[in-house]
Amino acid sequence: MEAILKRTAQRVHESDDEKLLIEQAQNGDREAFEQLVRRHDRDILRLAFHMLGNREEAREVFQETFLKAYRSLSRFRFESSFYTWVYRIATNVSLDHLRKRQTLKEEISYESDTEMNPDRPALKETLAATTYYSNPERRLYGKEVGEKIREALKTLSEKERLVFELRHYQGLRLKMIGEIMGSTEETAKNYLFRATQKLRAYLTHV
Amino acid sequence: MSCRDYQHQITLLLYDELPESSRVELETHLQSCPNCHDAYESEKAMHSVLAEDAARWSDIPSDLLVESRKGLADKLDRIERNRSRWRLPAFSVVFTPMRLLESVALIAMGLALGVYVSNQRQVIPQVAGNPAQDQISVIPRNGTISNLQVVSADPVTGQVELAGEISQPLRFQGKMEDDTVRSLLFSALRDANNPGSRLKAVEMLAQKPTDESIEEALINALIYDHDAGVRMRAMEGLQRFADEQHVRAAFMHTLENDTDAGIRVKAIDALMARNSRDVELAKSLEAVTKKDDNPYIRSKGLEFVGTAK
Ligand SMILES: [Zn+2]
Repeated sequence: MEAILKRTAQRVHESDDEKLLIEQAQNGDREAFEQLVRRHDRDILRLAFHMLGNREEAREVFQETFLKAYRSLSRFRFESSFYTWVYRIATNVSLDHLRKRQTLKEEISYESDTEMNPDRPALKETLAATTYYSNPERRLYGKEVGEKIREALKTLSEKERLVFELRHYQGLRLKMIGEIMGSTEETAKNYLFRATQKLRAYLTHV
Repeated sequence: MSCRDYQHQITLLLYDELPESSRVELETHLQSCPNCHDAYESEKAMHSVLAEDAARWSDIPSDLLVESRKGLADKLDRIERNRSRWRLPAFSVVFTPMRLLESVALIAMGLALGVYVSNQRQVIPQVAGNPAQDQISVIPRNGTISNLQVVSADPVTGQVELAGEISQPLRFQGKMEDDTVRSLLFSALRDANNPGSRLKAVEMLAQKPTDESIEEALINALIYDHDAGVRMRAMEGLQRFADEQHVRAAFMHTLENDTDAGIRVKAIDALMARNSRDVELAKSLEAVTKKDDNPYIRSKGLEFVGTAK
């Protein structure tokens, strides 16, 4: 979390010369474009890696995002920050990939549904054993919990998933998330609220 | 406000997104309302589980970053190559005077560099109806044209489309720390047709890897450059940083992929010298070096596993 805060502070500093870099990149300056990329590519890769959950697709999303940015940079009008703009592209590309994967899965079979069978120990118990009622000082995290959380995230709608991803996993403020979605902070708040409700329902009732 | 409203705010409170005044009000309510207090406790518990999950994902594998960047750079290269070959307006002139870096002496101390200002291709738009002489005047005195290509020629109208590069000598003096010096050297590293110039740039950079951007440029050279000499110089510049995460990832990449055994040897030596107690690293080194066809590297790999334990 501290790292995220530091990054945010850094970003404010960098915004001054960023405009210049963007203009240079718009004039075809590859060096300037790559400098812009370097400023944000760790964040974009982290987003892609978590959204897709594997290296292959994370790399694809990463490259697709910046190639799209490269191709449409001339249309960037400084109405938002470059960071917000790239994030918007990255979230769209990530969601596209998830959608494709979803279609593929539905086409293949029902087999994956067996994964959701309630044969496994209920997460409620896992949570109870790990965090809910036990000593908060202990390291509580088990691998199984991680898997459950991934499943729970799949129950969210796209917008809920997006807002939750950006706020919880990427540490962005709701105000910026509103901008990324082309919407408002209020809307982002509502999605965050619904997302946590759904996650709680899933994680305590499986 | 109703309890329902307060419970809405709990999420925002946990994410530190609740304005100060609402926060105080909510906290007061939580002290007096057992229902909301329970809801708060349970949401807080879930929040902390989720926070641990987020912490697990907060670091990206540095080799994944290296791979992703390389993939992107390759794709951008391809786009640029196609563009510079086929998308030029008639009589445009393309500036890539990087070649000059080689022809003008690079005097180490004074750092007199014969380079230009940015390696970008500036396309000079044709003004409609202008006679060709005016276009020619855009070629600077003592500039030379190279790599001329005829993009198209129409024998009926006499219209031709040419593309090429202009090289122009320039000198720049400054300290290594100067941004201009740096961007000159970074630009030189991209001069794909000119390994000699890249080698000089890498040598200069390797003398003084003072910061992240230089390190990054050297890592790029180590991983992307087609010329083994350039990669070797980059490796030498980086080896004392072999305990840093990104440099380590780059060296592992080199060890696994570089076709030049001499560079791979340097990579494993540097990794061993700087990370002698890292058991995790030893394991992945063992896996990589096992397949190496060079006996020295294989034996070094084994030796490392031994000392790390
Ligand atoms: Zn209440």
